[in-house]
Amino acid sequence: MMNYIWGAMLLFGIMFSLIGGKASEFTEGLMNSSTEALQFILGLAGIMAVWSGLMKIAEKSGLISGISKAAGPLMRFLFPEEKNRSTIAMMIMSFTANIFGAGNSATVFSLKAMELLDEENGHSPYASNTMCMFIALSMSMIQLVPVTIMKIRSDLGSASPEDIILPSIGAGLISMIVSVWVCRIFERRQSHV
Amino acid sequence: MSDILSAFSMVFLPAVITVILIWGIKSRIPIYDVFIEGAREGLKTAVDILPFILGIFVAIEALTSSGAMDFTEKLVQPVFRLFAIPEELIPLIILRPVSGSGSLAVVESIMEEAGPDSFAGRAAAVMAGSCETVFYVLALYFGVTSVKKMRHAFAAGLIGYAAGILASVYICLII
Repeated sequence: MMNYIWGAMLLFGIMFSLIGGKASEFTEGLMNSSTEALQFILGLAGIMAVWSGLMKIAEKSGLISGISKAAGPLMRFLFPEEKNRSTIAMMIMSFTANIFGAGNSATVFSLKAMELLDEENGHSPYASNTMCMFIALSMSMIQLVPVTIMKIRSDLGSASPEDIILPSIGAGLISMIVSVWVCRIFERRQSHV
Repeated sequence: MSDILSAFSMVFLPAVITVILIWGIKSRIPIYDVFIEGAREGLKTAVDILPFILGIFVAIEALTSSGAMDFTEKLVQPVFRLFAIPEELIPLIILRPVSGSGSLAVVESIMEEAGPDSFAGRAAAVMAGSCETVFYVLALYFGVTSVKKMRHAFAAGLIGYAAGILASVYICLII
């Protein structure tokens, strides 16, 4: 899947840059984006190491299994096939970090959760139901206070920058419910086959 | 209301770290040594995902710098008109799934042009606050696994995104 999408994105880009006479912009963009990717990773690597270290403490002290036990019922509804406590705890941490607007930290927890899920899935080339549900939820997870957006709004002279908080949460919840629902439909259909 | 929420968001991470440290000390584990051990693993993960990040960044840049995005905008315009979505939001709706920072710049320019409290300005802000970078997340998350077939994650992400977009527009229309 990714092979086709990725190839198509690049080929499309090249095609359009040739048609529109933007070949030099394309080449420049290629260089800039590779540098940006490295800078992004450098920024992420630090916080990634810090959270991995802290989560290791939480894991060894038994805090992680405690958290996942406490959040049992809801997580069982969303991830009925998931048994591993560390994975559940990582997913919970990812969701909460997302809700509180700590995007980079949330990414760290999510990637850790995906690594664990991959192990449980036996490194299969097919995504597991839990992976799909987790990704669907991560993509639609609400954020309590969209700080960056509110900052832009107030900079531009909005009368009340915080007016978008409740609509954002509302739209986020709708998108979340739809995502979960789509996952459930696919899960059910495949379990009948 | 929003002050309380902001305060919550601000103290969230410090609070989590405090709980982790105290719990660690209470259960008598060598917290510093364990931290170093975990940090080493974290750095390894960061290096592991670098090739995927590179791939995503390059592909996204190829689409945006070549003018392919502008073409797509024109192509999908009639569909958006059907759903009563304002024209100025189209660039944002197309760019958001692939690029978080790029779409923020678009949000800013929409709010600048239409005004932060206008319908389009508010809808853009709500979209950025509630709709995620779907393709970017798919590529990054599956990048650390051996998954080749992402099954229904793709459909769920895309349909959820569409629902979020429509909800953002209609909620702002009502309020």
